[in-house]
Amino acid sequence: MALHLQHRAVRAQLLAAVDRVFEHGQYVLGPEVEEFESRFASLCGVPFAVGMSDGTHALLLALRALGIGAGDEVITAPNSFLASAASIALAGARPVFADVRDDLNLDPEQVAAAVSPSTRAIMPVHLTGRPADMKRIGAIAERHGLHVVEDAAQAVGATLDGQAVGSFGAAGCFSLHPLKNLAACGDAGVVTTSDRKLADALRVERNHGLRGRDDCDAWGYNARLDTLQAALLNEKLPYLGRWTAAKRQIAARYRDALGDAVAVPEDGPGEHAVYQTFVIRADRRDDLQRHLAARGVDSKVHYPTPLHLQEAAAELGYKRGDFPVTERLATEILSLPIYPELTEAQQEAVVDGVLSFYGRRARR
Amino acid sequence: MRVPYSYLDRQFAEPDAILADIRELVRRGDYTLGAAVGEFEERYARMLGARHAIGVGSGTEALTLALQAVGVRPGDEVVTAPNTFIASVGAIVAAGARPVFVDVNAEHNIDAALIERAVTPRTRALMPVHLSGNPVDMAAIVEIAQRRRVPIVEDACQAFTAAIGGRAVGTFGEAAGFSLHPLKPLNVWGDAGMIVTDSDTLADHLRLRRNHGLRDRDTVEIFGVNSRLDTLQALVGLHLLDTTGAVTERRIGHARRLDAGLAPLAPHITVPPRRPGVRHAYLTYVVQAQDRDGLVRFLVERGVEAKVHYPVPVHLQPAAKDLGYKPGDFPVCERQAREIVTLPAHQHLTFDQLDYVVEQVTEFYSR
Repeated sequence: MALHLQHRAVRAQLLAAVDRVFEHGQYVLGPEVEEFESRFASLCGVPFAVGMSDGTHALLLALRALGIGAGDEVITAPNSFLASAASIALAGARPVFADVRDDLNLDPEQVAAAVSPSTRAIMPVHLTGRPADMKRIGAIAERHGLHVVEDAAQAVGATLDGQAVGSFGAAGCFSLHPLKNLAACGDAGVVTTSDRKLADALRVERNHGLRGRDDCDAWGYNARLDTLQAALLNEKLPYLGRWTAAKRQIAARYRDALGDAVAVPEDGPGEHAVYQTFVIRADRRDDLQRHLAARGVDSKVHYPTPLHLQEAAAELGYKRGDFPVTERLATEILSLPIYPELTEAQQEAVVDGVLSFYGRRARR
Repeated sequence: MRVPYSYLDRQFAEPDAILADIRELVRRGDYTLGAAVGEFEERYARMLGARHAIGVGSGTEALTLALQAVGVRPGDEVVTAPNTFIASVGAIVAAGARPVFVDVNAEHNIDAALIERAVTPRTRALMPVHLSGNPVDMAAIVEIAQRRRVPIVEDACQAFTAAIGGRAVGTFGEAAGFSLHPLKPLNVWGDAGMIVTDSDTLADHLRLRRNHGLRDRDTVEIFGVNSRLDTLQALVGLHLLDTTGAVTERRIGHARRLDAGLAPLAPHITVPPRRPGVRHAYLTYVVQAQDRDGLVRFLVERGVEAKVHYPVPVHLQPAAKDLGYKPGDFPVCERQAREIVTLPAHQHLTFDQLDYVVEQVTEFYSR
C-alpha cells in the first residue's frame, strides 16, 4: 500500500479541504459529513448513507439498529477479519460461522445449513473486494425471514450484475480505513441503506442516542465520522473510479502472468471485484512468501488464523476441522502487492518473484 | 488538443448489453407501460429515497403534469427563475398559468430572499430550478412555502443525483420533475422524464393522467394526456441507473480541478461560491468571465467547445412579451447572462484535457 503516493497526487486539494473545515470549525457532524453521505449513497445506488467512526462500528450499529442482540444468532464467514465476528459478539449476539468456497466468500449451501430458530441475520463478507453470492444468500434470507447485513468493509465500488454491494441487504457496512480502496486519513466508516427509518435510527445511535440536542430515547454510542475525515474523503471520492480501474488492470496482468503457476482470483459472471487485496492460492505458501521477501517483494496473509480458532472464539465451541475449506485456505492464501501507484517494474518484480519460485519464466 | 462538449459516442461505445434487452423487448412486445417501466420507476424512486416515481414523456411534461397535479390552473401564478432553460417556463404556460420571475443569486440559482415579495394571492406553486445540477437553498424555500401555504414543484431536470445534506434533490417539494434527455446525467435514447413524489394521492393521479386517465382498459376516470415513458427507454435507463453515482463523482472531481485551476484568474474569472454540504451534480460547469464572447471565440478556436447556458434570459425572449417584463427587471440574471460560460467538464475528459482548458483560459487573459 502506498497511501503517501496517492496523497501526493491530490495533496493540494486535501489541504484546501482541511483548511475549509478549520474556517468553519464544525468538527463534529459538520456539513462535509452530510455531503459525503449523499455522495457515497449515490455511488452505491441507495438513498441513504450514515457516516461512522469506523467499519467495526458500522457493523455493530447496523446490527443494533436492526434489533439484533442477546440470544440472537448471526451467520458469517470464519475467514474474515476479526471485526465481522467481533461486531456480532459486541452487539450481544452469537456469531455462527459457515464455511466458504474457494473464492473466499460464504458458501450459500453452508449458510442454509447453519440457519437455526435463533438466527436473525446473515452477514456475508465481500472479502478481498469480491462480491459474495448475494442472489442465493438473499434467497435464503427471504425464505427464513432474516436480515442481510453486508460486511462490505473491503468492497467499496464492487458490483454484482451492475448492482453495487451495500445495496443488497438491509444495511451495507463499509470501512474507510487507510488501507482501503477509499481511504480516510485515520479510522472512518459508513453504512448504506434504502430504509429511511434505519438511516434515522443509525444517525441517532451514532450520536449518543440523541434525538435533537437534549432528548435521548435510548442509550447510544459515540461513533461519528469526523468532519475532517469526511472533508478529505470528499476530495478523494472522485478518484475512486480511476484508482479502482488501475487496480483491476494490475489484477488482470497478475492473472494472466501467474495463472499457470498458482490459483488466481477470477471475475465470476456478473462480478466486478475491486481487489482490495489480490489473493492467490499457492503450494508451499510460506516458502513462497520467504522467497518473495528475499527478493524485496512484500506479501501478506489475510488471514493466517481463522476466526473460529481464535482465542476470543473459545466459548463458541468450535474446533479445528469444523470449516475445512477455510482451514485449508488459511494455509494456501497469499496477498500480493496491489495498489494504483504500483509501477510496471514493480509489477514485473512480483510476477518474476512468484514464477521463479516455481521454476517458471514469465511469458514475454 | 480537442476538448469536446458531447460524449455520447464514448458513453455508448459498447451498447450490446442494452441492445440485447431491446431485442428481448421486440420479442415480448410490451412497448407501452411494460414491466421494465415499473421496475425502472421503483429503482429510481428508491435511489432518491422517494415513495413514487412516475415515468412520463419528457422533463417538460414532467413539470407540466406535476404543476397541474398540485393544483395549478389557468390564471394562477407560478414563481420561478428567469435564467433557466426555456422548458421550465414553457411548462408553466402549458399548464395555463402565468410565470412570475424572481432574480437569481451569485450561485446562479433563484434568490430565496426575493421570493416572498413575488408571492401573491394568485400564486399556486413555487418552482425552484436546480440549475446546472446545483441544489437550490431548499430550506429557505420550504419555509416560505409552508408559511404562505403554496406547494413546491422542483425543477430537477438538470439535477439527478444532486443532494443537500444527504437528502436527494427532488424530495423537498410536493413533487419534482426530472429529465432523462440524452444530455442529462441519467440519459436514455430520446426524450423521457420522471416525476417524483412522496404523496400516494398525487402518484395515483399522475399515473392516471399520463395514460389518458384510464383506470383500466375501458374506464376513463379523469381526462388525461398521453405522456408515457417508453418501455424501451426504461430498459436503457435500467442499464445506466447504478452508474450515475460514479459518473457524478467524476464530474465533481473535474469541476474541482477546474475550480482550482481557474481560481487564480480572478477577477477575470469568477467561480461561483460552492456551498459545503451540498452535492452539486455539475450537469454543466458554469463560471462568469470578463469579455465572455471573446473568451468563447478564443476557446472554440483552440478546440475547447465552450458554450453559454443561456445567453438570453427567459423574461427577455420574444415569447415572454405578453408577461410585461423589460430589460433591467432582473439585474443579476441579466449581468450573468452576459458573463456566464460553460466549460467542458464531463466524465469522459482526461486530466490533460481539463488542464488544457485552464491553460487556454489563462492564455486568453494574459494576452
